Amino acid sequence: MAVRIDPKKGLTVCHIDGEIDINSSPAIKKSFDKLISQKTPKIVINLSKVTYVDSSGLATLVEILKNMRSYGGRMRIACMSPKIKSLFEITKLEKLFEILSDEETAISGF
Amino acid sequence: MEKKDIKFQSDSRHIRESSSKILKDVESYGIGEKAAFEIKLCIEEAVRNAIVHGNKSNPKRQVRLSYWVKEGVLNIEIEDEGTGFNHELVKDPTKEENLLRNSGRGVHLIKKLMDSVEYNAKGNKISMAKKLK
Repeated sequence: MAVRIDPKKGLTVCHIDGEIDINSSPAIKKSFDKLISQKTPKIVINLSKVTYVDSSGLATLVEILKNMRSYGGRMRIACMSPKIKSLFEITKLEKLFEILSDEETAISGF
Repeated sequence: MEKKDIKFQSDSRHIRESSSKILKDVESYGIGEKAAFEIKLCIEEAVRNAIVHGNKSNPKRQVRLSYWVKEGVLNIEIEDEGTGFNHELVKDPTKEENLLRNSGRGVHLIKKLMDSVEYNAKGNKISMAKKLK
């Protein structure tokens, strides 16, 4: 698992590569803790290279969202594979997150 | 496929080992990518629940895993040595007021992704099944 943080004009794009599960979740959370401590206002998480997410991974994304909301930050998720998107649908987390089909759409108008 | 029984200690490394072993054993049934993803997820959620919530990660407590294929259906049983839980008391994680809570999502995913899910009366054993095609 790897997290690549790519600052762009007015927002930050985070690319996660690999699996978001019980093993990788602590490291992913740590990568975002720094952005949250800096009160990064807008984050787009690109999941195009994420192959697997379990309930711990979903919980990690919820925690990041909650932490960002605490200071008025906003987060969008882009480029989910159909398999991973189905998990957001089954758990109704699609109601909680702003989910966009691609990174460009997620960035534009954000 | 004949029934296979495995016993292991409450160590989190067995989460991935369990799903990998079962998926390898059912590979010859021509299982699709989507079904493999869902089966892997459900096995890992159930084994994690057995280790963490059932056995409280106590390495002296074991998890028993059994699986077999009958008439194109993969059957899996996972039993821990804990006191059990009442799955009916798990709060629905999809309700608006629970969306930000981080509990019950694994149990919900298993219920939705497997074709059938049952718990024993004590609540320390889950039996789940899914058609392989």
